[in-house]
Amino acid sequence: MATDEPSTRFDSVDWEEIGGGRELTTNFIGVAVSVGALFVLVLYDVFVVPGDTPTFAAVGWGYDVTGLDWLFALSLVLFGFYGVLPLYQNARMTRYYWREFRRNRPAVASLAFLTAVFVIGLLGPLFIPSPTVDLFAKYQPPVGFEVARTYVINCAGPVVNGACQGTWQYPLGTTQNGRDIFRMIVYGMQVTMKLAFVATLIVIVIGTAVGTVSAYMGGMVDEVLMRYVDIQQSFPTLILYLLVVYTYGGSLLLLVLLFGLFSWEGTARYVRSNALAKTEEEYIKAVQLSGASVYRVIRRHIIPNTTSSIVTDLTLLIPGFLLAEAQLAFLGLGDSTVPSWGQLIAAGRSDLSFAPWITLMPGFVLFFTILAFNFLGDALLDAINPEAQAEAES
Amino acid sequence: MGLGWYITRRVAWAFVVTFVIVSITWGLLAASPDPQVSQAATQAALQGGNPAEAQERARELRGLDAPLYQRYIDYVTGVYTLDWGWSQTRNQPVTEAILDALYYTIQYSIPWTVLVVLLGPLVGLYSSANQYSWKDHAATGFAFFGYAIPNFFFGIILLLIFGVQLGWIPVIYNTDVPVFSVANAIQLAMPVFVLVTGSIGAVMRVSRNESSEFMQADFVKTAKAKGVSQLRIYGRHVLRPTMVPLSTTIVGYLLFLFVGSSLLVEVVFSIPGLGRLLYRAIIAQDTSVVLGTTLFFTFVATVGNLIQDLVYTVLDPRINFDDR
Repeated sequence: MATDEPSTRFDSVDWEEIGGGRELTTNFIGVAVSVGALFVLVLYDVFVVPGDTPTFAAVGWGYDVTGLDWLFALSLVLFGFYGVLPLYQNARMTRYYWREFRRNRPAVASLAFLTAVFVIGLLGPLFIPSPTVDLFAKYQPPVGFEVARTYVINCAGPVVNGACQGTWQYPLGTTQNGRDIFRMIVYGMQVTMKLAFVATLIVIVIGTAVGTVSAYMGGMVDEVLMRYVDIQQSFPTLILYLLVVYTYGGSLLLLVLLFGLFSWEGTARYVRSNALAKTEEEYIKAVQLSGASVYRVIRRHIIPNTTSSIVTDLTLLIPGFLLAEAQLAFLGLGDSTVPSWGQLIAAGRSDLSFAPWITLMPGFVLFFTILAFNFLGDALLDAINPEAQAEAES
Repeated sequence: MGLGWYITRRVAWAFVVTFVIVSITWGLLAASPDPQVSQAATQAALQGGNPAEAQERARELRGLDAPLYQRYIDYVTGVYTLDWGWSQTRNQPVTEAILDALYYTIQYSIPWTVLVVLLGPLVGLYSSANQYSWKDHAATGFAFFGYAIPNFFFGIILLLIFGVQLGWIPVIYNTDVPVFSVANAIQLAMPVFVLVTGSIGAVMRVSRNESSEFMQADFVKTAKAKGVSQLRIYGRHVLRPTMVPLSTTIVGYLLFLFVGSSLLVEVVFSIPGLGRLLYRAIIAQDTSVVLGTTLFFTFVATVGNLIQDLVYTVLDPRINFDDR
């Protein structure tokens, strides 16, 4: 890395003049402004708003924003400016990716499904009122199902042969408290999104940092970091979650932090091995020779070139998070104040014999979400990484 | 610097890993309030006693009044001399409780592992031999289904269909039946099936992708040209090189899955194995059992990683031992 000496040589390049140095990109400005605005809001929430009043009470929105929500907003901002905006900026590449991606039909369906989950989860709770306890409407069957009249108090639909029929008033039925399952699933989507986005953000940040530092520093630093990664990899994560939840109680924020902090080892490994491989490439040498700094090499060349493996790794990590949350909720160790899918699956367990939909509906949504992530990961691997062997799945 | 030295270093490293894990678990538990101490305090307060005094007594009883380093040393020696403490809720030593539970866990783990190890590579090979045919797509679909459906959810559905609706399998696990009996086979069929579908997918995918590389290899073409039968080509020329990368992932992967899914599957099917032991202990706040089972699971995972690495180096002659 021959760039650290003062550049008084005749062949040095004045990067300022060329404008390729540290110019402020739209993305960076956007992130800076949004994060600044978020930060101001957090300060406002912490210092100005009294403890138990909702954050946005001043504008008439009675929702108390939690710490996890702020993290979620931050991850959304970063996702928007570094994930979505570049796709718009490089329209030609986007079209190419899309052409490659489109050939894989299950993956396109998966993407549509996940986008729907994302949009509904993000905006749905603003329009759909939160599910309320209504004991008179308990155990209403979903549309097309029926349940013996003895289990329900007030049947919302018609009663045929002593069996209560489902109605569109409760499209997916109700729970033993009379909560509307459809609404609970919509609210659960938001929990899912928070889980996926925040934990992923943590994984990307730590994984990429450790991977690149390890690859570039080498020697003792590399050894220590990678040995730590080894240890983290051999610790069975579910057991670790159980142990932590056992000792500290399982709030959703804690779960998200746990998932994020203990699953970055794969990403770190990918980034490290990729960075090591890439440093041997001609184009990296060319960039180094023309005087790019270590930071610039990593930021502009190594990380973009490892994106494909990071993204693929993440699409396979996220279902793991969702699964772990559902498993913990099922064991009764999750955050029972949060309307997640896992909680709903667990809630229906005791009524399986006559009201199976309470468990089945959220279970199938979870199943399809995980399936969609898997298909998507598989297709992204083919679309983003041209070197990988194309596998037609359709 | 040959194989022997590498293995020595690798085993030593496994010891370091277990030591670190033991320390981390101790740290986690030491940093949090002991549920049994607070329980004693609550009980004393309820019975009109002095909660602070009761708390002190409970701490003394459990050796929590000793200095931190002393407790750490005691704990670590306890772990390595297999003195894992006394289970309050089960009234037996933790090691004994673990052995009792292991008896039930092994009963479904062995058939499950054998099935996955036997069927996974074969189906993967079959898939790559008929690449892009409907059989391949069916196998791929099955693989995706397998690892997308949450094990516990799948278990619930199967239990609902076959246990509650059809009544083919018992809903409650019966511990009284002998190990090698039809009744036991029937009640273990569902847990084994759930675990196999959950884990065979990844094995199938890896072996399919790996073996498809060898399908067009020169040595396979040569064998074909010499008139070697299809079966022999697949069995000897494709399957064997496929097993090398596969065996490296399979051991660790299965052990890892064993740790995670055995817990859920045992809870769903109410099998009194290790996973349920841990689950029960967490619910009952029995710290020594929680710790004991956690350590057992992590040791299993560490040993799995160790075996995986060793198998890798022994099987693949291209591995350079010097820079692991």
